[in-house]
Amino acid sequence: MIEVQNLSKRYGRVTAVDDISFKVERGEILGFLGPNGAGKTTTMRILTGYMPATEGKAIVAGFDVFEQPIEAKRRTGYLPETPPLYPDTSVVDYLGFVARIKGVPAAERTQRIQQVMERTRITDVANRLCGKLSKGYRQRVGLAQAIIHNPDVLILDEPTAGLDPKQIIETRELIKELAGTHTIILSTHILPEVSQTCQRVVIINKGHVVAVDTPDNLTARLRGSETMYVQVDTSGADASAALSRLPGVTRVLEAERKDHYISYEIDSERGRDVRRDLARTIVSSGWGLLELRPMRMSLEDIFLSLTTDETQTPAAAGDAPPPETVATATDGAES
Amino acid sequence: MRNILAIAQKEIKAYFAGPIAYITLGVWALMYGWFFNALLQFFVRQSMQMNQFGMQGPQAMNVNQQMIRPLLQNVTVLILFVMPGITMRTYSEEKRSGTIELLLTSPLTDFEIIMGKFIGALTLYGVMLAVTLIHIGVLFVYGRPEWKPIVTAYVGMLLMGGCFISVGLFISSLTKNQIAAFMLTFGTFLLLWVITWIGSFAGPTIDKLTQYLSIVDHLDDFSKGVIDTTHVIYYLSFMTFGLFLTAKAVDSERWRG
Ligand SMILES: Nc1ncnc2c1ncn2[C@@H]1O[C@H](COP(=O)(O)OP(=O)(O)OP(=O)(O)O)[C@@H](O)[C@H]1O
Ligand SMILES: [Mg+2]
Repeated sequence: MIEVQNLSKRYGRVTAVDDISFKVERGEILGFLGPNGAGKTTTMRILTGYMPATEGKAIVAGFDVFEQPIEAKRRTGYLPETPPLYPDTSVVDYLGFVARIKGVPAAERTQRIQQVMERTRITDVANRLCGKLSKGYRQRVGLAQAIIHNPDVLILDEPTAGLDPKQIIETRELIKELAGTHTIILSTHILPEVSQTCQRVVIINKGHVVAVDTPDNLTARLRGSETMYVQVDTSGADASAALSRLPGVTRVLEAERKDHYISYEIDSERGRDVRRDLARTIVSSGWGLLELRPMRMSLEDIFLSLTTDETQTPAAAGDAPPPETVATATDGAES
Repeated sequence: MRNILAIAQKEIKAYFAGPIAYITLGVWALMYGWFFNALLQFFVRQSMQMNQFGMQGPQAMNVNQQMIRPLLQNVTVLILFVMPGITMRTYSEEKRSGTIELLLTSPLTDFEIIMGKFIGALTLYGVMLAVTLIHIGVLFVYGRPEWKPIVTAYVGMLLMGGCFISVGLFISSLTKNQIAAFMLTFGTFLLLWVITWIGSFAGPTIDKLTQYLSIVDHLDDFSKGVIDTTHVIYYLSFMTFGLFLTAKAVDSERWRG
């Protein structure tokens, strides 16, 4: 349904998107994951025909977006990063205008507007001015305009940004409902969002695709190492030597040192539970075990473990990332 | 055509939904009324003096020549001030608020968007001209002006306004800052207006050229009751050129991102 081939986009000397390729099958939801400035919005803008690519090709709903832009646009719904609303227009009038320019036949317009307003739960603000709506409602009106012409392809740039938790759940439900009849690409920074709504994930960083996989596979392969958080009271002594000697432990990092406790982050081999050994060692050394828990891998960790290591290619899927990746985690966080 | 109409209607609604249309029309009506009154009083005083000297017949004051023609010339100056206010938001506002993303990702051609915006602005300008017709109507109640030069003058003003709008659209498409668009448009209009003065100091050849370039100079024949095709062609090609520049600007913006 969507096919992206060797797409590149340069703004002057800045390369925003560098030679990316991926495919989305009909009815699928594809998550576009990446940190700020990764090139998500740029890619989406190219797919929707807002701007041409510097190089490469994009086919949406069977039409090349550069060769037959009108045909492609007819079949695409787009929710930009900021919902494109006219502040002085009421929600119904706004949707009426969008329906018109998207080519919804006059006879069907009123009914379509009612339908999408119900679906996106904005019927109660139908006569309010768009400029007076809260962020969450703006986002929903934005979603309503994207689906008004019942497009084959939906491109949603951070559809849940700025929503409250309840609305986030509602929006995700709505997106899942829409899949099947629509092919969807959505971008996000949030990993749980991807694992809950998407069948496949494209992780992109600095314009490069670093991984394309299902959320489950991705999490699994990134669990190359398990990390434990341990807080001990050693009355000042250093426990790292004793802990790193344990079988299966690959690295011990001192995370924090206070007067009455030290906390460590302990990496271990994948699939090997070192909790018992850790606890035994600490207790038998006469230290106080204050806390011991597995650390959840945040998006940043997963992301950085994929992007900070240049040598690891997506092809090397099953390989465990080297332990050093965690150490460099904080360095690259801002980029 | 359907799409052009949809955009044009949206534009007109936008003018009247915000303060722009009302401010523009208000300022316009006030200033126009002031010019009208001033000229009318001047005209009345003059014709009374003429009557005292007993001049009648062919020498008598002509409403069209002494009243309507100078009035419309002054109106041109007014348009210079008011028009940038109409065109400044056309593209700038869409860029600033991000609604340009909606337009450019909808199944519309650039031509349809530009024409829609052009027709929208031209419609508001048409409403402004209609307001002035009320005053002209007053002249018909109290006197017997010739209607033909008035009609041709309005045709000329509509054409001239179209030129100003095409320039305004182009400048608005260059920036997301409405104030900058206003200033730049106003400056350009002034330049197009005073260009003949510069020309008149610079020798006959340049004088001819600048006269040809001056949007305003082409209006004069219209207000004399003549529709000269050279002027019509001039205006139409000027408009086409302005709209063409707008299309180029929109397109190059798309490439630059
Ligand atoms: N109009 C532009 N002109 C110049 N550079 C741009 C422009 N738009 C984006 N960029 C640059 O291109 C890169 C990718 O930006 P993009 O907006 O696609 O990132 P993103 O993944 O959507 O980020 P975010 O998560 O913050 O929305 C960034 O380095 C950005 O600075
Ligand atoms: Mg973005």
